[in-house]
Amino acid sequence: MTRSTRILMSVIYWAFVVYLFVPLILMVMMGFKDSAFIGFPIKAWTFEWYLGVFQDTKVINVFLYSMAIALSTTFLSLVIGTWIASFLGPYKFPGKLIVFALTCLPAVIPGIISAISLRIYARFLDIDPGMMAIILGHTVHNVPFVTLVVMARLATLPKSHIEAARDLGADSIVAFFRVTLPYLRPALIGAGIFCMLLSFDDFVRAFFLGSYQPTLPVLIFAKLRSGMSPEINAISTVVLVMTAILGIWAERSMRRMNKGTE
Amino acid sequence: MMGTDDRKAIVHIDNVGKSFGKTRAIDNLDMKIMAGEFVTFLGPSGCGKSTTLRILGGFERPDQGRVILDGVDVTNRPPNKRDVNMVFQDYALFPHMTVGQNIAFGLELKGKSRSETDQRVDALLEFLQLSGFRDRTPDQLSGGQRQRVALARALAPDPKLLLLDEPLGALDAKLRTQVQVELKSIQRRTGKTFFFVTHDQEEALTMSDRIVVMNAGRVEQDGTPEDLYYRPASRFVAEFIGETNLLEGTVRGTKDGTVVIDWNGRNVYGAAHDGDPRPGTAVAASIRPENVICLPEAPADDRALQGRIVSKLFKGNRTSVDIRIDEHDTKTITAYMDPAAADQFAGETVWVTWDKDRLAVLAN
Amino acid sequence: MAHTETRQGSAEPNAAGSQRRSFWGALLGNSSYDAVTRVLFKTQRRQFIILASFPLFWVLFAHLGPILQMFWISFLDSYPPTAGVEPQLTFANWMTFFEARIFMMPFFRTLGFALTLTLTTLLITYPVAYFLAKHVRRGNQLMFLLLLLIPFWVGEIVRTYAIMILLGNTGAVNLILQWLGLTDRPIPFMYTSFSLSLGIIYLTSLYMLLPLYSSLEKIPRNYLEAAADLGAGPWRRFFRVTLPLSREGIASGCTLVFLISTGYYATPVLLGGPSTTVFAETIAGFFHVAGDEWPVGAAFSSIMLITTLTLTGIFLKLMGRTGKGLME
Repeated sequence: MTRSTRILMSVIYWAFVVYLFVPLILMVMMGFKDSAFIGFPIKAWTFEWYLGVFQDTKVINVFLYSMAIALSTTFLSLVIGTWIASFLGPYKFPGKLIVFALTCLPAVIPGIISAISLRIYARFLDIDPGMMAIILGHTVHNVPFVTLVVMARLATLPKSHIEAARDLGADSIVAFFRVTLPYLRPALIGAGIFCMLLSFDDFVRAFFLGSYQPTLPVLIFAKLRSGMSPEINAISTVVLVMTAILGIWAERSMRRMNKGTE
Repeated sequence: MMGTDDRKAIVHIDNVGKSFGKTRAIDNLDMKIMAGEFVTFLGPSGCGKSTTLRILGGFERPDQGRVILDGVDVTNRPPNKRDVNMVFQDYALFPHMTVGQNIAFGLELKGKSRSETDQRVDALLEFLQLSGFRDRTPDQLSGGQRQRVALARALAPDPKLLLLDEPLGALDAKLRTQVQVELKSIQRRTGKTFFFVTHDQEEALTMSDRIVVMNAGRVEQDGTPEDLYYRPASRFVAEFIGETNLLEGTVRGTKDGTVVIDWNGRNVYGAAHDGDPRPGTAVAASIRPENVICLPEAPADDRALQGRIVSKLFKGNRTSVDIRIDEHDTKTITAYMDPAAADQFAGETVWVTWDKDRLAVLAN
Repeated sequence: MAHTETRQGSAEPNAAGSQRRSFWGALLGNSSYDAVTRVLFKTQRRQFIILASFPLFWVLFAHLGPILQMFWISFLDSYPPTAGVEPQLTFANWMTFFEARIFMMPFFRTLGFALTLTLTTLLITYPVAYFLAKHVRRGNQLMFLLLLLIPFWVGEIVRTYAIMILLGNTGAVNLILQWLGLTDRPIPFMYTSFSLSLGIIYLTSLYMLLPLYSSLEKIPRNYLEAAADLGAGPWRRFFRVTLPLSREGIASGCTLVFLISTGYYATPVLLGGPSTTVFAETIAGFFHVAGDEWPVGAAFSSIMLITTLTLTGIFLKLMGRTGKGLME
């Protein structure tokens, strides 16, 4: 590669970073604007919108509701995904590829179709729109990711570790809890945070499966439809900071796992 | 037969067979292992030694036959339901547990109380010179230390039989020799029955009370290290263990306790045994290089072979000398000599002989 | 249980702890646990069946079930069922799609959008991925990658809103354009296919970048050096070595971006206008009303699902790989 193409590429990279960050930075800035009108230039600054958000019980309730959904979803996805991975990973059986394809299916279906099909299915199962339906929908969506991450980790667990546990008196249940599960820990932390993010950030499933009680993205969407306001920026910024921290944490634990230092 | 007299058989492998697909991994294995014995299963990879070990450990079920452990049929019991523990090839130490927790694992699962577990772990750590390492994790240990922790963990539940699956393979050559001595001494002091599997003949010879050589699922020979080395029962054993000269010939006959073999028209002499092949059968005579005696002049008896030194290789503690007996044959006889002695053979002509007891006659 | 309590009660307080067995030891020693597991794990086969039962149930019930139910509903004349009325089988819902232009247009627009955006995203992110994989030192790659990942974690709605602020009539872009004197009145970027495209690329670019990066990173440097040794110029090296070897990443990235961008609903609603109605909005329209429009919505969703999966299937086949490594 010549010097000029190298420089050109680094320029493209940094332009791309700017493209990713500038809209978010502007959005955060707008949350400090001392005016109800969204738009530039910003002449005066205030914390009022943030204070308003933290005092608004409705927003706080919505936040807690989203959190409850995300935590339940994460727990269920981890249990189900780990179970599927422990079945698909070590065993060979006819039709394994089909089961694997079915496991990945929810991850490749376009969002709107996933939401619609789950809406119909919830009706079929007599689950009313609301928390239960959203948790089911998010879990279905998250299980493929957990399964893939756990399967990858499981593939690196030496068979002899399980055999050693069995040899020392553990039955398969005890061997799983004492040896396999601790080994999966970094994968479960990474996948778990990833599930929290997917659930917490999801709009389309929460929108079609929810009742009158909105989740945080649905609330922001509803507020946006009735007009932009710095209040939305303040809410969004809180979400942004939280998700970014969780994301970095998840990424770190996954990288560390792949490097094998844990 | 080994000395079955006063010791009791702790394990009886009763006519066990096992196949993987079309491969016969073990073909009707039948043997007893005595309490307190250090038995080594030796053979090339795929000979069935590891399968035997895994059947004893409970990781494989035999297709036929039974495994009797201390009088109880354990053939269909899973690994966790038999008093057998194993040292794995890669040690399989649990990475998320400390050394102490690793050793305590089997005791805890046996339902031992915390205080009893603690005492036993301490005792084992001291016994294996690991006292300062209780709270370390496996990745903070050297290869030799890991191997000792694996041994301590397997000894902790006080098994009736200890299985060792090539546990020295991961160590470097220098450490390996030291660990061989240690392992043998640990086995003596604990009085445990060790079932050791290896493909390394040197390891087997150093440590074992008894060696079982396996090939293609069958036992080639079962005996003491000396038996195997000096009285190999088959060509396979002779070639697998140590270095040897194999002289292909036919039996001429037996006379006065000496068997005479025709090797390329020359007479080769060995000690006669019961059941030696009849005259006329094709055999291979095995003689170890260190038992080959080289003489600068023809000895009084006419049993020495005259030859010519074609190469000398200095190997530090000895010199390996190749002697060509027949100028029309590229086949040579190798002899090990003291380097100083080797220098005496300035001339090329040499007479080769050996103690007839050291020559083993092997049917083809 | 009762036994342990009495023993604890009588023993010395500090000795009580050390006399106790560990939880797992106690569990394995428990006779009812033993009785249950003895039956459950009697044979390897039985153990496998128990392990397999739940995953098989889950993927059939929760992964395949909703899709099959959606197909089924699409052939019914009414759903949700009303009391006393037996739903009849019909093809009418599927035919509706072919009868009206207002349904076909958004469908083809969505496909066209998705294809164009996939290609655009590929062209934009390829140099970025190449730069990361080949020009950034290995130790720094994680830092550079993390920089791109942080915005990626932020959800669809928040990022869509960020684009709205950027492109609005009083947004940052218009402010700068006016300040530079390039225009004297705000340019209406919003509610056009431009704003929608920019938004969707903003949302999906990382799904392209990550597979590209990981496939480019795997190409050994000495391949390129070998090609250079043989006299290949930079462009030739790129087209004959780098590009073919990054095919895997291109295939996964394009598939992901295509499938994801066809599935957005909120972003087209917020960033698009009447001229950019996508099929997701059409489908959603049938579910806002509680009535008998569901079957039509189900039929339309089925059409879209079949089309997108068929297209990606053909694409992956052309790229010479199965969908196996797709989700890496």
